[in-house]
Amino acid sequence: MSSEVTKSSSRLWRATGRTLTGLNPALESVLAGVVGLLAGALLMWIWGYDPWKAYMAMFRGAYGDSYGLASSAARGAPLILTALTFSICVRAGMFNIGAEGQLYMGAIAAVTIGYFTLPSGLHITAGIIFAMIAGAVWSLVPAILKLTRGVHEVISTIMFNWIARFLAFYMVAFILVDPMRGEKTISIPMNARFPILVRGTDLSYSLFAAVLFAIVIYFILWHTTMGYEVRASGFNPKAARYGGIKSKRTMLTSFILGGLAAGLAGATVVMGNPPTYAVISGLPQLMNVGFDGMAVAMVGRNHPIGIIIAALFFGGLTAGGRVMQFYGSNPVPLEMVRIVMGAIVLAMSIPELFRIFPAIKKQGTELFSLLRRLTSRVSHKEGSA
Amino acid sequence: MKRLLGVLVILVLGISLVGMIGLAEGKVAVVLDVGGRGDLSFNDMGFKGTDQAARDFGYEMVEIQCATAADYLPNLRNVARTGEFDLIICVGFLLGDALGTAAEEFPEQKFAIIDVGWITGPNIMNIVYRENEASALVGALGALAAAEYGYDYVGVVLGIEIPVLYHFEAGYRFGIDWGIKKYTEVKGTTPDVGLLYTYTGTFSDITLGKAASEAMLAQGAVAIYNVAGPLGIGDLEAVTEFHDNAGTTFGPPYFFGVDANQDWMGNGLHALASGMKRVDTGCYNAVKAVAEGTFTAGVTSLGLAEGGVGISKMRDLIEFVDFGIGAGAITLLDVPSIVYNWVRNRLTVPGWIWDAVDELEAGILDGSIVVPTADTGNEMAAVRAEYTLGAP
Amino acid sequence: MTESTARAKEKEEQEFFLRAEKITKVYSDGTVALKEATLEIHPSEIIGLLGENGAGKTTLTKILSGLLPPTKGRVISPRGPVRFGSPREALDFGIGMVYQHFALVGTFTAAENVALSHEHPFSTIQLADTKKGLEQLMEESGLHVPLDVPVEKLAVGEQQRVEVLKVLSRDVDLLILDEPTSVLTPLEVNELFALLRRLRKDGKSIIFITHKLKEVGSITDRVVVLRHGEMVGDLKTAGATTEQLARLMVGKAIDVEARAVELTEEELPHRESARVEEMKSGPGILHVENLNARGDTGKIAVEDLSFDVHAGEIFGVAGVEGNGQTELVESLTGLRVPTSGVATINGTNILGKDPREIYRLGVAHIPENRWELGLILPFTLAENAILGVHQWDEFKGPLSFLRRRKINQHVQELMERFEIRATGPSAPAKSLSGGNQQKLIVGRELAKNPDIIVAAQPTRGLDIGSAQYIRDLLVEMRNNGRAILLVSADLDEVLALSDRIAIMYEGRFMTIALPADLDRETIGLLMGGVTAVKEGV
Repeated sequence: MSSEVTKSSSRLWRATGRTLTGLNPALESVLAGVVGLLAGALLMWIWGYDPWKAYMAMFRGAYGDSYGLASSAARGAPLILTALTFSICVRAGMFNIGAEGQLYMGAIAAVTIGYFTLPSGLHITAGIIFAMIAGAVWSLVPAILKLTRGVHEVISTIMFNWIARFLAFYMVAFILVDPMRGEKTISIPMNARFPILVRGTDLSYSLFAAVLFAIVIYFILWHTTMGYEVRASGFNPKAARYGGIKSKRTMLTSFILGGLAAGLAGATVVMGNPPTYAVISGLPQLMNVGFDGMAVAMVGRNHPIGIIIAALFFGGLTAGGRVMQFYGSNPVPLEMVRIVMGAIVLAMSIPELFRIFPAIKKQGTELFSLLRRLTSRVSHKEGSA
Repeated sequence: MKRLLGVLVILVLGISLVGMIGLAEGKVAVVLDVGGRGDLSFNDMGFKGTDQAARDFGYEMVEIQCATAADYLPNLRNVARTGEFDLIICVGFLLGDALGTAAEEFPEQKFAIIDVGWITGPNIMNIVYRENEASALVGALGALAAAEYGYDYVGVVLGIEIPVLYHFEAGYRFGIDWGIKKYTEVKGTTPDVGLLYTYTGTFSDITLGKAASEAMLAQGAVAIYNVAGPLGIGDLEAVTEFHDNAGTTFGPPYFFGVDANQDWMGNGLHALASGMKRVDTGCYNAVKAVAEGTFTAGVTSLGLAEGGVGISKMRDLIEFVDFGIGAGAITLLDVPSIVYNWVRNRLTVPGWIWDAVDELEAGILDGSIVVPTADTGNEMAAVRAEYTLGAP
Repeated sequence: MTESTARAKEKEEQEFFLRAEKITKVYSDGTVALKEATLEIHPSEIIGLLGENGAGKTTLTKILSGLLPPTKGRVISPRGPVRFGSPREALDFGIGMVYQHFALVGTFTAAENVALSHEHPFSTIQLADTKKGLEQLMEESGLHVPLDVPVEKLAVGEQQRVEVLKVLSRDVDLLILDEPTSVLTPLEVNELFALLRRLRKDGKSIIFITHKLKEVGSITDRVVVLRHGEMVGDLKTAGATTEQLARLMVGKAIDVEARAVELTEEELPHRESARVEEMKSGPGILHVENLNARGDTGKIAVEDLSFDVHAGEIFGVAGVEGNGQTELVESLTGLRVPTSGVATINGTNILGKDPREIYRLGVAHIPENRWELGLILPFTLAENAILGVHQWDEFKGPLSFLRRRKINQHVQELMERFEIRATGPSAPAKSLSGGNQQKLIVGRELAKNPDIIVAAQPTRGLDIGSAQYIRDLLVEMRNNGRAILLVSADLDEVLALSDRIAIMYEGRFMTIALPADLDRETIGLLMGGVTAVKEGV
């Protein structure tokens, strides 16, 4: 009896899976988005907010006028880049959680150009290059640890996020600190800032940098031998090896590309976001930009073009979410706004999560056995001591 | 009792309802930084003062929180561009840059900002505090208690190194120094009391507050002064655990609250006093000024004399117990034990010490004592050099 | 019917533990894996299940252990027909299987692994109880493994014992072992056999899958021989001879195009010349000397192999799979680093080089597993068509951009020349049929214009048409003067195509001979590891 039930339910599950995977990806995303919106609406309804009004506010705040659109795009720009960091490595079969730390390093490096004086075009280029190199260097260490010592990248990148965080705290508080204002670093000089694109909004030319970078990554991944090798190793490392591809090199490549992207993201945040153009102590404007990128990557199906769209959507959620807080007679507190955003993003990530589930599972087992080995080593040591 | 309470609640609700219908004529917005609500201190006070003023003067109030620092400017713009708000209050110095930009972009919009004196404009009311005066009182109390009980240090856990916190630190140093001198004068021996201070670099990571406090307590601090908003929760936790481990329930080491009166926290067991900075008063006054048409741009400094800062007294305790109940942190039933614990704890400090603190307060009020302050790193370094307090 | 015969019949019926009746299994791709196989299992009996690769041994045991449902036929117990929906249900009934690839969590201890296999997903694991039970079970069965060491630290033989323990702890009556000795050292084999005999004494039934004739003789009571899904023999071990079993296992040639038919008159002399060249025993295009390599488990898989493959020759390696063929091929194509020896292509050393360098020397590799190695299934046809040659100047433009036009042109050519049926160059490889996928691989490799082609199981799992097409291609390449190393588990294929044949068993060549010099019985014996003919069983 019970086995019958499980059988039929598993059949249903499989059938659903088939139908869903057969869906056109765009339709699938839309469907998932609708499910997320409904879930968010239900939550707001339960806590006594009018979901319809709230969503109207969100939509108007995000896409209702050019101001909303610009705000959405401004918020999306760095997310495009941190999402790329994650996606490039997923394409290579790895989970690089390190965008957050690489982003901090990029931002810190960008700030240092405040100490130089250069002609304006050169100055902004120097900032971008500094930041990208810093991001790449920071991602290189976990990559090298993985290649030479077999350290799992999930662990090392998470650790490096923390190191980066405290290193950035230190740099902000003691090295790059604004002598007049203890709570922030020196500000990026005027001619090294990304010019504002739409007056009266946050949107700067950094959006173009992000989109351009995404397109470059698209061409690298799909139209060069380098990208070919990265994707081949990601899909099937054994076949890649058979095809004469050196997995170590593709790993390194993808980590470096990812680091460059995250570093650039750091630059866009400090060099392209009014009004401060500096890193504030406690990194409140950098915090989570790297992690949010992972969600964007999921929603964007780990494809550069999908990521651009997803990041604009994500930026729209944020920009619209701000408006939900005070719009009309139905203000929704920020906490609830964030819950609703979480529901939408989660729903939209699920299809891609399922798709890369085998990869996740593989990572999980590797991690698990690693942890296990570590603990057993510790206990053995204890035993012998 | 219960029925009385019910009637009271209905009455309050009724009045506020009538008030809203009868008086509502405009809107005020209060914008908080990433710290957000729930700190039972700075941000909550900003909310409290604005809320109270909105009720009293018939405004609709909207509260806006920021998820990240990148939201500051967009949020201010979002609110300002509606053109519906009579006043936008920015609670906290972190909003300063964003306010500067927004105020320029929307010259018709009135803004008020707490703790920022350096960004001014024809439509900005700057409200700043002389935190050094309140901190001096707390520092004197701490130093005298340490001397009395033979502790080596008084401690302070601070947030980020910013001018506002320099005010606190400078005042605290002066107060400790004054306390040591006072003790010498009264008892004839110079006590060996030093200062332990840590800038945690955060206004949000409570665990860092706890860790810093634990380290200070282990070194023999008589009290931990919280100068980092929500981190006080962690500081108090460390003090409470220290007592639990020592098997004591009151007496030293103590906890000093900040901004709000935090004496009621932790059931009133260990919080001896608070260096109050009445953010609520500042916000209230700003709304009041707008309502009464007396809004003036420029810097308003609030100190002991203006009732903007102070060391906590009994009447403050009662007021802020209400505040705690409103925030849902405590219930009405907790009040008697809080008051009892607080009084008992206060009695562990001899009366002459309290008198000495009052003496310092009076001196500051009549201008005979001037508490130093610091706005920049250099000024702070100078104060630190003058009042080294055991540090080389 | 008299009362006594009725009783005898009843007794007999009670005596069997399980009977598989006329089991037929047709896989969804149309492969008939089993044809009306009938097998009766009695208590206290060790049955050897003998057969080549693809004979249906594994399919039969998977059906018995609940992993697969039969297409036709039924499984009967003395109490009536039984149906197993899952391995768990079969286990509950008393049937347990130990697979060749262990299902153990390497970082768990033996006790934890056993506990894990017992529990339902959401229940808490009672490790202490499990351990107590296991200690008792080890006492009773005489099977000892360290319980508190992570199993990855155990030797392979011990790991296998953990697997056996896992199954025994479920109180099974029928234990199925799939090629259990293939991973074991001789000493471990002896220990395993002693254990199996003890279990038999306790009344357990055991099905022992093997292709090693010696083992059949030394451990089993009864031998069941499968060939091409049909049960071709069921006999008492005591009365059987090795030759008889070898003959049954290998059978007579089925109509894979016999090589004689394939060859035209002009080709025959070519064949002769190859032989002459071999007589001269000069070095071939591929020259291998004293090659040694280890398998993934660390066991020696290739032992002291020496051979040459000459231009215009197909050198066939026959043998049951798992006797080192995979490791041999991997060692020669850069996928495995051999422990010692010499291997050269046209005089250039290839050992320790990576695949890309080896391809540059003129090697093409048709891998044995097209899904794992040969293709990247989510990639398009075009992307797969350049795997391994994507760095060649033909396909790589400035800034290492891929030359899409050239690549598509190349794919079109491949599709035409090798009759690959697909919707177009941008169709994903996974959308192709097995035959077309293999043609894509073969086409890609042959288009490299190689000097030597290493072809591992090139026709496995293909329909007859595709298989024949690929065989024809190999012969054509041979006739064009290429050297071909053909490794195949399909004996008929090796016999039909090869100019010389090596029979591989446990990492060694039992012989290298001309096909004409080997009769099928000898081959069967050699594949089963028997060198001395006329050995009694």
